[in-house]
Amino acid sequence: MYDVTLIYLLLIGLAYLLLWRRSPEKTRQSLHVALASTRKMLPMLSAIFGLIGLFQVFVPPGLIESWLGGASGWRSLLAGGALGALVIGPPPAAFPLAGSLLDAGAWPPAVAAFVVAWISVGIVTLPFEAEIFGARFAIVRNTLAFVTALLIGLLIGSWT
Amino acid sequence: MSARHPSKFRRLLREHWLPLGTVLLYGWAALTASERALQALLIGLRTFGSVALLIVAVMGLVGLTQVWIGREAVGRLLGHEAGFKALLIAAFAGTLLIGPAYLIFPLLMSIHRQGARWAVIATVLSAYALKLPMIPLEIEFLGWGFSLGRSLLTLLFAIPCGLAVEAVMAIGRPRSE
Repeated sequence: MYDVTLIYLLLIGLAYLLLWRRSPEKTRQSLHVALASTRKMLPMLSAIFGLIGLFQVFVPPGLIESWLGGASGWRSLLAGGALGALVIGPPPAAFPLAGSLLDAGAWPPAVAAFVVAWISVGIVTLPFEAEIFGARFAIVRNTLAFVTALLIGLLIGSWT
Repeated sequence: MSARHPSKFRRLLREHWLPLGTVLLYGWAALTASERALQALLIGLRTFGSVALLIVAVMGLVGLTQVWIGREAVGRLLGHEAGFKALLIAAFAGTLLIGPAYLIFPLLMSIHRQGARWAVIATVLSAYALKLPMIPLEIEFLGWGFSLGRSLLTLLFAIPCGLAVEAVMAIGRPRSE
C-alpha cells in the first residue's frame, strides 16, 4: 500500500505544481482548504486510531475464533456478520484469521459474511462517518452493507 | 460570564465527543490494565503512521476538488443528470482506491457537496470493499473460489446498494438533496 500511496502523493503534488503555474491564487486557496480540512478532521481521526488500538488489544483474534468456532446455521451467519462489523483493522489481518476459522471447521457462509462485513461495515468508525455524512447516511449505509455481507456470505458459502 | 460556561462545555462535548470518549476509554484501560493500554496506544500510533501520507494525499485532493472542479462538472459526471454512467464511474473508482475507507469520507463528502448524488457516494464505498490490490493475499489464505466469488458479488451488489441508500436518503426530503 505504501508504494501506491507514494504514487498518489506524487501525482497530487504534481497536480498542485502544474495548477500553481495556471493560477497561484486558486492553488493557494486549494492548499488552504486542504489544511483547514486536515485540521478539522484530525481530532476525529486521532480518536479512530486510538479506538483501533484499543480494539486490537482488548478483542484479540483468538477471542473471535472462539466466538465463531465450529457453529453453523443462521445464528452463526449473524454472528459472523456482527463480528466482522465490530472488528476494525486492515484486510490483510482479516484474511489469515478467516483462513484459520475455515481450517477450524467454521461454517463457510459465516466466514464469508465475517470477511465482507469486516471490509464494508464499520461500527467503530460509525461516529466519524455520521459526523461527515450525517447520521442518516451512516446508519442506512452500514445497515445495508451488513445485510449485503450476509447475502454475499450465503451465496459464497453455497458455491465454495 | 458564568452563564456562558455551560454552553461552551456543551459545544465542546458535541464537537469532540468521540476524541473525549476515546481519552476516557484509555483512562479506564490505563487504570485496569496499564500495559495493555500502552500497547493499544502504540498500535494506534503505528496505524496512524502507516496512513499519514495517505491522509495528506486525500486532504490535498479535497483542496483540489473544492477549488478547481466546478459544481456543473461534478453534476454532469456524477450527478442525477449523468444517469447510470455516474454509478459505473463510482463502482470503477471504488475498486481503485486504497487505504481504510474512513480516510476517504471527507473527500466523498466534498464531492457530494459539489453535486455528486448520494448513490454515487454509497456505490464508491460499496465497491471499495473489493480491495483489488489485496486479492492475491486473499487468494493465498482463502482460495480462488472464495476470493473471486467475493469480488464478483461485491461488484454486483455495489450499484444496487448505492441506489438503495439513495432511495432511503430521499424519503421525506426534496429530490435535489
